[in-house]
Amino acid sequence: MSNSLSTRNRKSTMAQQPKTRLSASTPRLDVAHLAKTYGSGGKARTVIEDLTFTVDAGEVVCIVGPSGVGKTTLLKCLAGLQPATSGRAAIDGRTISGPPPEMALVFQDYNRSLMPWLTVRKNLVLPLRHLKLSAAELRERCDGALAAVGLSHADNQYPWQLSGGMQQRVAIARALAYRPEILIMDEPFASVDAQTRFDLEDLCLKIRRDFNMTILVVTHDIDEAVYLADRVVVLGSRPARVLKVVDVDLPGPRDQITTRSLPEFARQRTEVLSLIKRPA
Amino acid sequence: MKASVRPYAFSVVGVACALAIWQVLAEAKIAGNALPPATTVFSTLATILGTGTFWSSLGATIGIALLALALAAVAGVAIGLLVGSFESVKYATLAVLEFLKPVPPIVILPLAVLVLGPTAEMSLFLVVFGCLLPIVMQTVDGVQGTDPVARDTARSYGMGEGEILARVVLPSAMPYIGTAMRVAAPAALVVTVVAGLLGGGPGLGQNIYQAQAAGDYASLYGLVIVLGVLGLLFQGVTRLAERRVLHWHESYREAVPR
Repeated sequence: MSNSLSTRNRKSTMAQQPKTRLSASTPRLDVAHLAKTYGSGGKARTVIEDLTFTVDAGEVVCIVGPSGVGKTTLLKCLAGLQPATSGRAAIDGRTISGPPPEMALVFQDYNRSLMPWLTVRKNLVLPLRHLKLSAAELRERCDGALAAVGLSHADNQYPWQLSGGMQQRVAIARALAYRPEILIMDEPFASVDAQTRFDLEDLCLKIRRDFNMTILVVTHDIDEAVYLADRVVVLGSRPARVLKVVDVDLPGPRDQITTRSLPEFARQRTEVLSLIKRPA
Repeated sequence: MKASVRPYAFSVVGVACALAIWQVLAEAKIAGNALPPATTVFSTLATILGTGTFWSSLGATIGIALLALALAAVAGVAIGLLVGSFESVKYATLAVLEFLKPVPPIVILPLAVLVLGPTAEMSLFLVVFGCLLPIVMQTVDGVQGTDPVARDTARSYGMGEGEILARVVLPSAMPYIGTAMRVAAPAALVVTVVAGLLGGGPGLGQNIYQAQAAGDYASLYGLVIVLGVLGLLFQGVTRLAERRVLHWHESYREAVPR
């Protein structure tokens, strides 16, 4: 399945620039001095001051920071939904100027992001229509994505007939069916109960393993960030800036019980927590 | 739980009481000859139902109301999507639309008769005029009520503006449009009849006018009863259609066992 992921099938909506060869030194996602200010003059409100970090291919990076730090604003800039005020975000060296075709976004509010008038399968099909795929490929992509999140049985149900955790799995399946190379998740597990949360975290790691996907997760849960990530980008607030990028050195494959009981896990989460707690 | 109230049984009792009161008041000549007894009206109605003119009038009324409703729905939703989607269009048209909205169709009836004559086109125009604006305004509200997260989701997947309008915004606005249609359907019938009654357009309105002019009150009330039943039918059908189209909406969802 990971092979088919590399078959790109959309014309790029990115700024026209010469195709840069991927070298080992080019990060998948490159955020450099990104800033976002809403309004202008006396009413100007700077949400993001100067963000710089990178995400390498196949990495899971978590962005943590206090609530209201502007994480959602950052994701909207990365997803090409709104332009940055200055600085830039780039995929493989190409500046993001519109929704990048190799990226899919999973929102926190699954019940607002999934269309209630469409069945689970039709929700998966909706963003694929403009790709003009064959019926066979559409079916194959949807079947594969639903199987990957364990919801093959629910394809004819409506999202509102499912539990919160299942709905978020539908949203993840929709992203998988789009076959992105980069998956961005905005507090994806914040609205589900603790047990479901653990399951979804493991699903996230499984997706990275099975699909060799680059994943960026925004979360306010420090334990979750350390558990999921290869690296944690710690943000300071008002306006947002990078306090530190913490390399997480935990042995894989990770497991909810053994990984979380490692002394190293405790050390890492303490490091991140003290960065956030420390008055800036 | 055992149902303690049988809705249909009580409805029948209510209707029977109303008819009985009507009969007693009419027999007592409370309004002179202007209110014939229920029995007379129903026997006259039975005769009317046997005539070809009645059925062609009924057909004309239903045809005009439905055609106008369909035209108003298509045009109203299209205009509403346009007005709701573009700020510039919205500000350019909102003042005019808000001004026209409270104008009842009967006010422009003389003008319509003057220009189009006592024709089916005149009736059609009046009904479209009466139904269009509420549908436009509701559609605009629906467009603007579209969840920004749903829009962002569609945009993030590279869906084009036209596709988002058709596949995300329009379905989101359907509950609003459904409400507008539920109000517009009976209104379409009323305006069709008024156009016949006062403007001479074809249909049951014209028959009622003729019955009134001839002093044939039994026929007049017979036709009014037909209109009442027709109104109920229109309302029932729109409700049913709304329930089918919006089965996914919170207000129509069936409880699902988890």
